Amino acid sequence: MIILALDALDLDLVKKFESKTLMQNEYGQTDISDFNLERTVVLWASFLTGRNMEARIPLKTQWEFKLPTEETFLHFSKTFKAIDFPAFSFKQNHAEERKFLKNYFDEKSAIEEYETAVWKIHEENKTEFLASIGNYNLVMGYFNLADAIGHLSFGVVNKMKDVYNTLEELAKETKNSDDFTLVISDHGMKAIGRYGDHTKNGFYSANRELGLNLPKITDFYNTIRSLQNAT
Amino acid sequence: MAESEAVKQHLHELERKSIALLREAKAQFKSIACLWSTGKDSTATMWLCKRAFFGKIPFPVIHIDTGYKFPEIYEFRDKIAKEWGLNLVIAKNEEALDQGMSPKKGRLDCCTLLKTEALKNLLQKEKYDALILAIRRDEHGIRAKERYYSPRDEQFRWNYADQAAELWDLYVKPSEDFSHMRIHPILHWTELNVWQYVQQENLPINSLYFAKDGKRYRSLGCMPCTVPIPSEANTIEKIVQELETSRTPERAGRSQDKEKAYMMQKLRSLGYM
Repeated sequence: MIILALDALDLDLVKKFESKTLMQNEYGQTDISDFNLERTVVLWASFLTGRNMEARIPLKTQWEFKLPTEETFLHFSKTFKAIDFPAFSFKQNHAEERKFLKNYFDEKSAIEEYETAVWKIHEENKTEFLASIGNYNLVMGYFNLADAIGHLSFGVVNKMKDVYNTLEELAKETKNSDDFTLVISDHGMKAIGRYGDHTKNGFYSANRELGLNLPKITDFYNTIRSLQNAT
Repeated sequence: MAESEAVKQHLHELERKSIALLREAKAQFKSIACLWSTGKDSTATMWLCKRAFFGKIPFPVIHIDTGYKFPEIYEFRDKIAKEWGLNLVIAKNEEALDQGMSPKKGRLDCCTLLKTEALKNLLQKEKYDALILAIRRDEHGIRAKERYYSPRDEQFRWNYADQAAELWDLYVKPSEDFSHMRIHPILHWTELNVWQYVQQENLPINSLYFAKDGKRYRSLGCMPCTVPIPSEANTIEKIVQELETSRTPERAGRSQDKEKAYMMQKLRSLGYM
């Protein structure tokens, strides 16, 4: 099983840039309106556990929050690899990215410094993700490119096109796998001028028919569990 | 020294440095032009150019016409261009306008096509090697990093991390690695200095700056993206007084700045910062 966790991937842009591979066989939006705030760590933790984790994860320490494997669907997988996954194996180098983000708003650094840090993490995760496919029962890769670039440049069409094309290429690399492949985002994004703000609708797609209709992010827990049992 | 005398003295010092810079640039570059938005800063800069070159501006004056500017801007531009005998060159991206580009299609894309691309096209055609711009360090944090001589590549990129030190009023033109040079003769001025200078020199000024029905424009941009600020200042004297006590940023009426403030607040609430 392959899970491509793409932070802030938005259905409208997937359609706009005709990212066909990201769409797979079945695709649609998810509904996260049960959550007060569209917090990345909370949403991914909820995806992993099948429960709304909003009350359990404090804002201040959210980036350090880690779930034990037993609480997640990973527990049911014989072997797994979770790359840079929020609330589970989130890497420390995102702190540098957030530092540049703050510096940008404090007008201490240019947008390019922030974007360089974002792309660097993406490339590192991509290498690790692609090398892991085929070696584990479940490979789960987290990529925050659409979210991180989108926050400062969602209104910049060419930049977002680059991001979506990059993610489309990444999805193509997994396309030939016989494994069940789920592409999922935590939330969507909308433009605030040049900037991008979270929306209450994420994205999902699967390479086989799941028959879902506006699922909640917590609904995938059971789907993944049942598929793990079946394999 | 009386306060008014101190202001006069300070403005004289600012003016002296700006004029020296303009003359230096004119001597160093083959094909130079000046950008003029018709706002207070670029109009004051044009006045400095007149001062520097004995009443006549010896290079083209470029106005970037996005097609979305206030009618008062076009009116003021044409009037002053005639009175001051300017060699006015209009940079306009007609192709993008014909294709329907507008702020509704995304403000940044609109700015990129109607401002940046319009200027790029003109530069490519006219081969200017230096542009005079009326930016000031106190306008914006990023502008505070600027130098008086600021090189740009063909894509207008600015490598702020690799800039020459400008010590002892020495402004050096690099021998290579730049497409055109940006010259910033009023970089060291503040918004208040500009208005004091406008007052002192009795410069013509766009009527949009003066309060009407309790509002005035503090910074001029395109119509859809600029909003007036609450103000009763309907004369230059009152604007100067207002600025001496104001704590509101100059560009508070620009949409992009408001969006940035919103986004910063939202990202904080989400725990990003």
